[in-house]
Amino acid sequence: MAKYEVTKTIDVRGEVCPVPDVETKRALKKMKSGEILEVLIDYPMSKERIPETVKKLGHEVLEIEEVGGSEWKIYIKVK
Amino acid sequence: MAWTGIILGLIFGIILQRGRICFNSAFRDVKLFKDNYLMKFAAMVIALQTLTFLLFAQFGWITLNPKPLNWVGNIIGGYIFGLGMVLAGGCASGVTYRTGEGMTTAWFAAIFYGLTAYATKAGIFKPWLDWVSKFNMKVEYTTPIYSSKAGPTLPSVLHLNPWIVGIIFAGLLLWYTFGTKTTKRQSKLGIKTAAVILAILAPIAWIASAASGRNYGFGITGGWIGLFKSFLAGSPLSWEAWEIIGIIIGAMISAKLAGEFKLRMPKNPITYLQVMIGGFLMGLGAVTAGGCNIGHFFTGVPQMAIGSIIASIFFILGNWTMAWLLFGRD
Repeated sequence: MAKYEVTKTIDVRGEVCPVPDVETKRALKKMKSGEILEVLIDYPMSKERIPETVKKLGHEVLEIEEVGGSEWKIYIKVK
Repeated sequence: MAWTGIILGLIFGIILQRGRICFNSAFRDVKLFKDNYLMKFAAMVIALQTLTFLLFAQFGWITLNPKPLNWVGNIIGGYIFGLGMVLAGGCASGVTYRTGEGMTTAWFAAIFYGLTAYATKAGIFKPWLDWVSKFNMKVEYTTPIYSSKAGPTLPSVLHLNPWIVGIIFAGLLLWYTFGTKTTKRQSKLGIKTAAVILAILAPIAWIASAASGRNYGFGITGGWIGLFKSFLAGSPLSWEAWEIIGIIIGAMISAKLAGEFKLRMPKNPITYLQVMIGGFLMGLGAVTAGGCNIGHFFTGVPQMAIGSIIASIFFILGNWTMAWLLFGRD
């Protein structure tokens, strides 16, 4: 059972810096208000930077969930 | 005494990993994400090092050795290096510590960076370097703070006491660090702590490196050249090569302890091609410019070396150009 009603998922594990950040921004741009984006990530620096960038754009970070060894899921609600 | 490099490198690697210190990100984030978090770190560590370097030199513990000014090399090489680091996904220190974190793309970037740097220094591209080196400019110093013959600095150009210029220079950078708004970020090691530790570590590294016969502080490019020279031509490892080994092991230990070590592989294999091209440009650029973001930006700018300041400006311009081409048009 999924935690949130995820509208879209992007898997950016293993990508070179700053591809995870850029892909997140690009995905959010195409989404509608209230929808939820799930970002799968494995790079600690992006895990720290993405939430701040997203907040600055006005979206809401619902949760940063640790799902394994150096792997996280970030849930973002589009404003 | 070359082996002491591994000890200094270990500590450097741990700080780089914990602080997520990457100058590629520092330069790029200001432009791309309007995020100045790492740029603030850069300004602060340069400001503090300007003072610690002068202090250590005043006590006679180190002799500052600003890199020669080379308009051609600093500008062309700096710009090429700046383009390369964005493709490679990290600057010289960035790809080195990420190698230890298990980022496989960084391995390929680092290998091509080191090999191309070596080729430019002593291989197929050497004629190019020989031509560029003709434009090297040095000045004579009478003060014992500096080597008797070294590159020009802000104090030498302005004909002022290095302390006066240094304090103003550091003051301006610290004003930027503390007087303007900083982007927030949750990090394990704050930028201020990291900057203070590195500003103390850097002159100590200089003492250790000078004891091995290399009168300079932290560097990366020469270290990778040293590693390949040892691997391919059997030369003994230089201080800087030991430093590289230290950084990789330090970052690996640090990442393991934090649960952040992982063999990371991109889904699209084209990424490997991209980082190899990036590494190639970094190696060619760094040797042409006379240094990378560590030799020039981290260690050279605090000596207020004109060549390092020019090279750094072009690192940033190259970085912005490539970041705009790859990510900035939407």
